[in-house]
Amino acid sequence: MECSKIEQWLSEYLESSLPAEETEHVTNHLKTCPACSALLAEMRSVRTMCDSYPVLELDPDFVERILLRTSGRPRTRPFRERLTQYFVRPLFTPRFAVGASLATLFLAFMIPRLPGVVSTVSPQGLLRLLDRGVSQLYGEGLKAYEAKNEWQEQFNRLKNNTWNSLRSIMEQMDGPVEGRKKQNDGEPRKENAPKEKSSGVLVSTSSPA
Amino acid sequence: MLSGDDKLVERCLQGDDYAWEMLVNSYGKRIYNLGYRYTNRRDEAEDLTQDILIRVYQNLKSYRAESGSFQNWILRVARNLVIDRYRQVRRFPQAGGSEELETMNIQDEKVPNPQRAAEQLEASAFLQSGLQSLSPELKEAIILRDLEGMAYSDMAEMLNVPEGTVKSRINRGRLELAKLLTKRRTQLGMKA
Repeated sequence: MECSKIEQWLSEYLESSLPAEETEHVTNHLKTCPACSALLAEMRSVRTMCDSYPVLELDPDFVERILLRTSGRPRTRPFRERLTQYFVRPLFTPRFAVGASLATLFLAFMIPRLPGVVSTVSPQGLLRLLDRGVSQLYGEGLKAYEAKNEWQEQFNRLKNNTWNSLRSIMEQMDGPVEGRKKQNDGEPRKENAPKEKSSGVLVSTSSPA
Repeated sequence: MLSGDDKLVERCLQGDDYAWEMLVNSYGKRIYNLGYRYTNRRDEAEDLTQDILIRVYQNLKSYRAESGSFQNWILRVARNLVIDRYRQVRRFPQAGGSEELETMNIQDEKVPNPQRAAEQLEASAFLQSGLQSLSPELKEAIILRDLEGMAYSDMAEMLNVPEGTVKSRINRGRLELAKLLTKRRTQLGMKA
């Protein structure tokens, strides 16, 4: 049988969807035709390539853009994403770190005193004590906040002073260059000036006499 | 009885935005990949996906469950838009290739090591360039059958051609790709 006829059946032969009679023809032909056998092998390779062809992922922001352009409703965040957004990510912020440190300090301060306090104080007294403790802690927090603001202010002042000093130094460094330039352009014989000045002084002091 | 997609379409038409989001999640990725396989460019594929989904949203009312599955309908809309775009630009630019494959966001859990990954990248690059060299009909047949895994009957319905024609196009497409592969191996001095 001709190779061109066999070629027409190769695809279905590959998928095992060819009728039995044709399948037999192809099988017999392949035994004697290396060219068609090689072609079938390459077709098989192409199919393998197709099977392992990578799948592109859709960017969630892109999906959001499409939704906003169609229904106008933003994307629904899956539970995991919401968990990350509202609970996990805030854990890594400075605010949480400060809060956690203060809470630890508070507990470290309160826990050793708790058994003694509990044994001697009534529940109302304990609550009052806790309230006082919290107020004290809040006060300390405010003081720390004010101190932080003060430090920040001092730091800014220092930064500005340093910057101004640096700028003035740079201006001074630039100054003589400009002066020299002017001197060279406008007054070519400036080096004679002190002499003139001194002679002038001599003249002025001597003239009234 | 309505299928899952048909129920979502119905809910969508009643103004349920969440149903539309579910449809976008179901078909967005598929359309994006389809667009990429036709155009060989990610930016083109994104533009196409956006245009296709906007058109689908605007034409949801025209979908009739009794005249075919929603999947075929949406893929037909996608295909028509791709062909319209193809006619406008005559052919899609050939940029991309292996460099774009290297940087794209791919999901492939079958890649166990760098050597295998490199081989796969090479194979994908070959397939991409091979697809671009096929005629539009053959390229379409290979994309839908071998990359999208569509059934012959669905392809026949979508392309509006007899099933025999679909099979013939697939066979011709595979043969051409196989011959290209042989040629490439010969150039590189490799054995099959």
